[in-house]
Amino acid sequence: MTSYIIPLIFLTVLVLSFFKKKDAYSMFIDGSRSAIDLMVGVFPYLITIMMAVEVFRVSGVSALLANAVSPVMSFFGLPKELTELMLLRPLSGAGSLGVLDTIFTNYGTDTFIGRCASLIYGSSETVFYITAIYLSQCKIKRLRYAIPVALIATFTGCVVGCLLLRFI
Amino acid sequence: MLVRNNRRRARIILNMSKIWLIMLIAAIGALLFTNPDAAIAAMVSGSHSAVKLAIDLVALYAFWLGFFAILEKLHISDFIAKILRPVTRFLFKDIDDETEKFITMNMSANLLGLGNAATPMGINAINRLSAGKTKATTNMIMMIVISATSLQLLPSTVIGMRATHGSVSPASFLPASIIATVLSTVLGVFLVKLFSKIFPDKEGLNERGSLLRQSAKYKKMRGKRNLGTEKK
Repeated sequence: MTSYIIPLIFLTVLVLSFFKKKDAYSMFIDGSRSAIDLMVGVFPYLITIMMAVEVFRVSGVSALLANAVSPVMSFFGLPKELTELMLLRPLSGAGSLGVLDTIFTNYGTDTFIGRCASLIYGSSETVFYITAIYLSQCKIKRLRYAIPVALIATFTGCVVGCLLLRFI
Repeated sequence: MLVRNNRRRARIILNMSKIWLIMLIAAIGALLFTNPDAAIAAMVSGSHSAVKLAIDLVALYAFWLGFFAILEKLHISDFIAKILRPVTRFLFKDIDDETEKFITMNMSANLLGLGNAATPMGINAINRLSAGKTKATTNMIMMIVISATSLQLLPSTVIGMRATHGSVSPASFLPASIIATVLSTVLGVFLVKLFSKIFPDKEGLNERGSLLRQSAKYKKMRGKRNLGTEKK
């Protein structure tokens, strides 16, 4: 069902442009022209974050830190095996996907740990990454309470979701 | 006095540059003791995957920006902005039509699970909201928070990965996951609303009869919008 939605939207828009006698071809070219400029702005942030996340993960410091804060996870009813995933998820999608893969290999997908890991990855977003990319082209230096609020909201969602997984 | 207090509090709040520095120092420091060769290798491989991702993203951005240009010229984006106006009016205060369009396109792309299509629109929206400022306004914080806690109604990456790992029912976590993502968005919006009352913007952007409301620029903006609606 859902796989039809986006192609259908495309088809509708293109057919509409035909009947409205607008040149979709040249409009598409105009739009896609700005992609390179956008990437020139985004790229430094991409590389800076991913470089740091990779070395942080490979060095084992993330696992060490995960060990240290795992009591907090247990306190909120989350499996302590998922601490590293929880820590890396806001930083990098690719980095945390690697951790998710390891969790599936080690604990299976249909155990409570596996389901909980799916929920943590599936219901949340890369908070720090998105913030850095979105702000890549403006002069904002002080974000005030934006990041703490996003992190608290995401964490609460995960805690409640994992609690529900025990019953659903 | 109160202002100074707010300023001091704001400084404690985590920012990316501190986290980045701590992560790198800790990681490289640890690797010096365990495996010094891996330090540069890991950083290079991280940069390498960033370049690969960048190339993927250029393709995706070009594709989606092209599509959005068609939506824009056919005035479909105006139409979507109009449908979602009650939502944007609730979330954001005093935004102009152009910004509203970017915000609604960003939200609809996120709702469809197209995070990468949402990014260009989000950047444009933030650029218009910031307008050379160095400190985030409530509107900008709201924009960041709703994007960072965005509704993930169909986490296709995880479902696909569960399937390849031989899961019996790859989508079994979905009901709980949807509740979790809705809860995180609602809580995020609520907290931003709450904090905007506790720490209001200095320019008074979020209050009735504020400086911006009285300014010539705002009146001009308002006038334009009225003109736009009359035409329709």
